[in-house]
Amino acid sequence: MSIKWANLVLFAAAAALTAGCSSLGVKPWQRNVLARGDMQLNAEPLTAAVDDHMYFSKEASSGGRGFAGGGCGCN
Amino acid sequence: MPANIAVPDAALNIEARGADLVAVCFAAMASPCELLLPATERGAALALGAVVAGEARRIEAKFSRYREDSVVAAIHRSRGSETGIAVDAETASLLDFARECFQLSDGLFDITSGVLRRAWKFDGSERVPEPAAVERLLPLIGFEKLRWESPRLALPAGMELDFGGIGKEYAVDRAYHLLAAQRAEPFLVNFGGDLRTNRPPPRGPWQVGIERPGSDGQAAMVLELERGALATSGDARRFLQKDGIRYGHILNPRTGWPVRDAPRSVTVAASSCTEAGLLSTLALLHGADAEVFLEQQGVGHWLLR
Amino acid sequence: MQLKNIPGCSAGLSLVKSKVARRRLIAASCALLGTTAARSQDAGGGTADAATAAWAVDSALAYYHESGRITAIEPIVNVSKEFADGKTFSAQVVFDSLSGSTPNGALPSTRPQTFASPSGKTLSGTPTTYTTSSGQLVSESAPIYSINPGQLPMDPHYHDQRLALSGDWGWPLTRLLTASAGGKLSYEHDFFSVSANAGIARDFNEKNTTLSFQLNDEFDSLRPIGGAPVAGSDYALFQKGGGKSKDGVGAMLGLTQVISRRWLTELNLSIDRFKGYLNDPYKIISIIDGAGNTTGYLYERRPDTRTRKSLYWENRTAWGRVSAALSLRYMTDDWRVRSDTAQIHVRWWNFDRDRFLEPTVRWYRQSAADFYTPWLDSTAAQIGYASSDSRLGAFQAVTYGLKYGAKLDDADLQTSSQFSIRLEYYQQTPDHRQSAPGALQGLDLYPGLKAILLQVGWKF
Repeated sequence: MSIKWANLVLFAAAAALTAGCSSLGVKPWQRNVLARGDMQLNAEPLTAAVDDHMYFSKEASSGGRGFAGGGCGCN
Repeated sequence: MPANIAVPDAALNIEARGADLVAVCFAAMASPCELLLPATERGAALALGAVVAGEARRIEAKFSRYREDSVVAAIHRSRGSETGIAVDAETASLLDFARECFQLSDGLFDITSGVLRRAWKFDGSERVPEPAAVERLLPLIGFEKLRWESPRLALPAGMELDFGGIGKEYAVDRAYHLLAAQRAEPFLVNFGGDLRTNRPPPRGPWQVGIERPGSDGQAAMVLELERGALATSGDARRFLQKDGIRYGHILNPRTGWPVRDAPRSVTVAASSCTEAGLLSTLALLHGADAEVFLEQQGVGHWLLR
Repeated sequence: MQLKNIPGCSAGLSLVKSKVARRRLIAASCALLGTTAARSQDAGGGTADAATAAWAVDSALAYYHESGRITAIEPIVNVSKEFADGKTFSAQVVFDSLSGSTPNGALPSTRPQTFASPSGKTLSGTPTTYTTSSGQLVSESAPIYSINPGQLPMDPHYHDQRLALSGDWGWPLTRLLTASAGGKLSYEHDFFSVSANAGIARDFNEKNTTLSFQLNDEFDSLRPIGGAPVAGSDYALFQKGGGKSKDGVGAMLGLTQVISRRWLTELNLSIDRFKGYLNDPYKIISIIDGAGNTTGYLYERRPDTRTRKSLYWENRTAWGRVSAALSLRYMTDDWRVRSDTAQIHVRWWNFDRDRFLEPTVRWYRQSAADFYTPWLDSTAAQIGYASSDSRLGAFQAVTYGLKYGAKLDDADLQTSSQFSIRLEYYQQTPDHRQSAPGALQGLDLYPGLKAILLQVGWKF
């Protein structure tokens, strides 16, 4: 799959997802599970930071959750 | 939290609430009241509970319509007098607040609307009053008809004052301040569903159950509260039913009739219980537009219809 | 529903139609409660909110060890706070110290090899003087290291320390719109980095959907020990230049969506572009002749721009005492590296919900950069882009980890803290191994990597 094709598919998927999102969700009083500490997207920031640093220095990819720069000389 | 506790009037009951909380329960203002503390403070519970219960009963006694020695009774005795009656600082603040709310709500919130009780008796029966009976009471309603110039209040003949609409929430805030002045540790004051807390206990946010109207105590939703106040208004238990129409007990002071399509229950979050209580009452008074009103206010709110 | 950000009496603005009415109501409530309150400083609740919002501290110490190679120690401290008016701030300090052996990019050989550590000037070991590109006269004695036949060439003198500071701010603009900004500084003796980011996020559908956009800008300055080598030049000639730099810009579009009561999903689309000196100044490539003998080395040469695109998808779910997170990432760049990553964590709580065990597995696979080459032909003395850095090669990697956490409540201090410890094993296995000419056929040219990570953490 060429890069251009892959890009097109990704953008189309994102757009479709955004359009379909208006019907999904829960009412404010149904958020008790979502309010759990381990359901938060940044629940363990330091674990994520150590992992990101380790993988940044050992692999060619980085980022995803945050930015790919890395800010260290290890790659 | 249980919706109904039957306790003798003067007693303070201490009971465990799960593994890590303890509750001091008492009855006041026709509601089950409680102070929640972390279980590690069981020893201080009685003393702190006494402070809270004391303040609740003080405010109830002071502003009750049923007691001969209350401020409200004194105001009623002075009805019709030209010069009116001088009130103390606390009553004056409440009257100022009531006036501000009256103006902000364009007359929807009115502490002189208690006279409508004479026509409406919400006992679940079919006895909806005659329109003429309600018409007769309308001239006796209207905060603008009072002469209130701190500290003198002149109440025209035939009118009544009723602090029931803000009394409980005000009592929560007063009790809250009494405790907050002494301690920074977590606590939660809850008078019949109007509650306020300073901070969450160690285990995590307070879990507040909002009762499903008509389900006899079953929780419709559970909110997690970290700090601030919640007030719930609703018409679950007091209503009339006739010809398929349900008449909730929230009456529009300007028409004298119940609000159409009011939600069964409204819970509002705000920094003080007084503010939350006022917003939840106003939301009910907006009937079908309750959600729109609360959206405009930008407060956390939950409705059950 | 978490009820944070309840405005206090002193703040409490909401940019909606009845702004004035609400403010009057808040003022009226404050007046009511303030004048009759018994002279407590939290009259009205505004200062109470601010007083009870304490600083949250999160700290960790990580120990990383690659079998036969690098060891790193990394302490991190992060402090954060959420203010009564909804503003948030967090600051982080990271220090890491690395030492050990690191591959220099050359291939093993059937004959012994000798190299100089980056500060070296000649292979002879005797002090030598030379003039740097800035005209400075330098005299240095180089640390030499020798590699036995069949061994992977690794510089045993690798030593690095890094200090990084970062700060992040968030503030609500309206009830549904939040802005964010942050900055980061990182210092090493041969590398300096500064970056800044800004973003905006908006909630929709009763806060079930959040759309966010962030921009990031980074500037890095390199001062390699002994100078930055001229890319693609002969290793023996020690052609060095001065300091180098690179900068990068990145953008990320994020979508967070509540799918159901128990399922939260996040999708991030990001793109970044770096330009400048993108080479590793310490890496060389072996030149191999037809018989498999090493005839020389060249410094690597990478393009001076790199554009990367990635799609990241994370899902979180919870059911009673179990919660799980599954994330997938697809990355592609203009060096023709493509990678797929999948990671799953499952957290199992005990009955009291104060202890947990969390196994995790991560699969990773990447394809090689188009200029990746484990060695150079002796005929290709003039190279285009080339690098033998195994991090740009094709490989698969797997991580297995286990984390244990315990929540501790201090009744006296009325605080809740969490202690955690995790152990992870990471293994990299090269793919598509090219078969080497002649004498090199019997040697292990692609040893891969094995590492363990141990991290203890404490947050309170």
